[in-house]
Amino acid sequence: MEKDNILEVKHLHKRFTSKNVTVKAVTDVSFSVREGETIGIVGESGCGKTTLGRCIVRAYDASEGEVMYRTEAGEELDFLKVDKKKMKSIRKEIQMIFQDPYSSLDPRMTVLDIIKEPLKANFPKMPTSEMDQMAKEMAEKVGLNPAYLMRYPHAFSGGQRQRIGIARALVLKPKIIVCDEAVSALDVSIQAQVINLLKDLQKEMKLTYIFISHDLSVVEHISDRVGVMYLGKMVEYGETEQIFTRPKHPYTEALMSAVPVADPNYIQERIPLMGEIPNPANPPSGCYFHTRCRYCDQKCSELTPEYKQFEPGHFAACIRAEELKLKGFDYSEMNS
Amino acid sequence: MEKDNILEVKDLHIDIKMMEGTLTPVRGVNFEIKRGETLGLVGESGCGKSITCKSILAINDKKCYPHGEIMFRNEDDSEVDILKMDPKGKEIRNIRGKQISMIFQEPMVAFSPMYTIGNQINECTLLHITKDKKKAKEISMEVMRKVGIANVEKRYNQYPHEFSGGMLQRALIAMALVCNPKLLIADEPTTALDVTIQAQILELMKELQKEFNMAILFITHDLGVVARMCDRVAVMYLGKVVETGDSKTIYANPQHPYTRGLMGSVHKIGGRKDERLFSIEGTVPLAMNLPKQCGFYDRCDARIEGLCDKAEPELVETEPGHKIACFACNNPACQKHRQEVEARLKEEEARGPVEEGGKKRGKR
Repeated sequence: MEKDNILEVKHLHKRFTSKNVTVKAVTDVSFSVREGETIGIVGESGCGKTTLGRCIVRAYDASEGEVMYRTEAGEELDFLKVDKKKMKSIRKEIQMIFQDPYSSLDPRMTVLDIIKEPLKANFPKMPTSEMDQMAKEMAEKVGLNPAYLMRYPHAFSGGQRQRIGIARALVLKPKIIVCDEAVSALDVSIQAQVINLLKDLQKEMKLTYIFISHDLSVVEHISDRVGVMYLGKMVEYGETEQIFTRPKHPYTEALMSAVPVADPNYIQERIPLMGEIPNPANPPSGCYFHTRCRYCDQKCSELTPEYKQFEPGHFAACIRAEELKLKGFDYSEMNS
Repeated sequence: MEKDNILEVKDLHIDIKMMEGTLTPVRGVNFEIKRGETLGLVGESGCGKSITCKSILAINDKKCYPHGEIMFRNEDDSEVDILKMDPKGKEIRNIRGKQISMIFQEPMVAFSPMYTIGNQINECTLLHITKDKKKAKEISMEVMRKVGIANVEKRYNQYPHEFSGGMLQRALIAMALVCNPKLLIADEPTTALDVTIQAQILELMKELQKEFNMAILFITHDLGVVARMCDRVAVMYLGKVVETGDSKTIYANPQHPYTRGLMGSVHKIGGRKDERLFSIEGTVPLAMNLPKQCGFYDRCDARIEGLCDKAEPELVETEPGHKIACFACNNPACQKHRQEVEARLKEEEARGPVEEGGKKRGKR
């Protein structure tokens, strides 16, 4: 493992099998995460973003591959191989924030109990008063009034519920947080509140985020590096600026051109994506994207593209990446 | 009604009677739509966007009591008030689905899972266009082709679960367009879809709009989508339109504090990373027993104590086509409105508390 990295995902595969069909939800995904940064994972629905996130917290057991993690004590572990007991101690350091603040909170528990639950599970011997204290501190940190902690989730609005979810994830003082569409269900003005909160907490607690979202403008705002997924594969990975201004994969280019920009004077050239995302149980041959790619040629349907580095830190999986001149956002134009 | 307008909503109020009291999700909405244009209705959830649109089609819940005026230009160029019609009567049936149709938010929920797609599109055709089943099928298939559904012969006989989200939304658009309506109401038509599919659907709607020369009322909370689609924008907050105007004007120079907040909370691609997003503090209040003050008072950063909490600003025209409802905006029209209201308040105060008390008693 490299020195700065806190997490390294190597050749991760996840397959779901039912009766006689195997769906490859995640195929050969590799990337690394440095401590204290935010990684954005984007892609269409059904591309395996959520499955990847769940494999990272080991809510699913990956079928193949490695997830190397540097624990707080400095140990390097392959998280997919450790036993149950060890896993429990590592879980404290990796937490998750869920998409829907309405269904991810138990309606029959008070907010205090919800925030306390991870403590109860991980420190059964901790006295209740101390737990209450920690839960209250955390509630204050995420901007909830501690006086309301005896209420039930139904008494809170969507934005506040998401804050409860964040408090629950943070109460164990984790190092990595996987945010699975954490702001997608919220209104724009509330979204801004939660994004600001996440950024403040990151600075304060030195958190590392893996931010899964389909909203590219949110990802562009919050992420240091971005991974683009298509049909279970990571097709491009790099610094946010590299991905948004100089995409190397045609899918990224098409995705960028589809983002609605909140400026009526900005004229976007939209690159049409033909058809729909293919069935992951029966992916196309060669490059998975060739059925919808406008630059596709003979080779693309035969050869599987290699996941290569093009500039320092900028990876992409496209055979024609070097000859193509793809168009991303022009930052200078957008700010004028 | 003005000549170009096909729909005018005037001072629309909606009351919902509930156990706890009366909910007023819409408290005086005014807007108009011209032939062939796209009006975007923007606002947070709970601001009354959807319920306004439902009352245009008179498909509200029984408990809703709308009052005000919704003027619509009928086929024969006569002006009719939709609110005066019987929601189950013949008149509205001639308008609903034929002259005004609607696309719903979640295509998966809008279709019945029990009938084939073709059957459901045909329902509209048979009701409004022709009684001949063969002809109706042809017409329905033609529309399906127009919205970009491939292999129509096969698709016609498929059930909703065999369609993907994007395709289903196309089918829903086909159903809405089969009678060639003059006004299409699109209630968050792309919110449930992926960005790439969203872009396809938006483009399709634009093309079809040109072809059929219809007006679109586009409801959304996504400001990026509004920028791409709409000629004019109306921003709603707590059951009222607080700002309306050309989308270019509003995006370039948002005036109402709520509009400014809304624009500021959207991250612009290429913007500075270390910058915090502007966030409007607090949440939308529940529209029940609202005090007589500006609805945005509690969350506003430009509020004027002693004025904004005593009276509600009305929409005033600041420049042709641009209307704002705010006392704090720095332009002649708003300031004039402010002075008028201040004078009125002073007068009321001078008259003493007796009358005010009397008024209150009368209301009770």
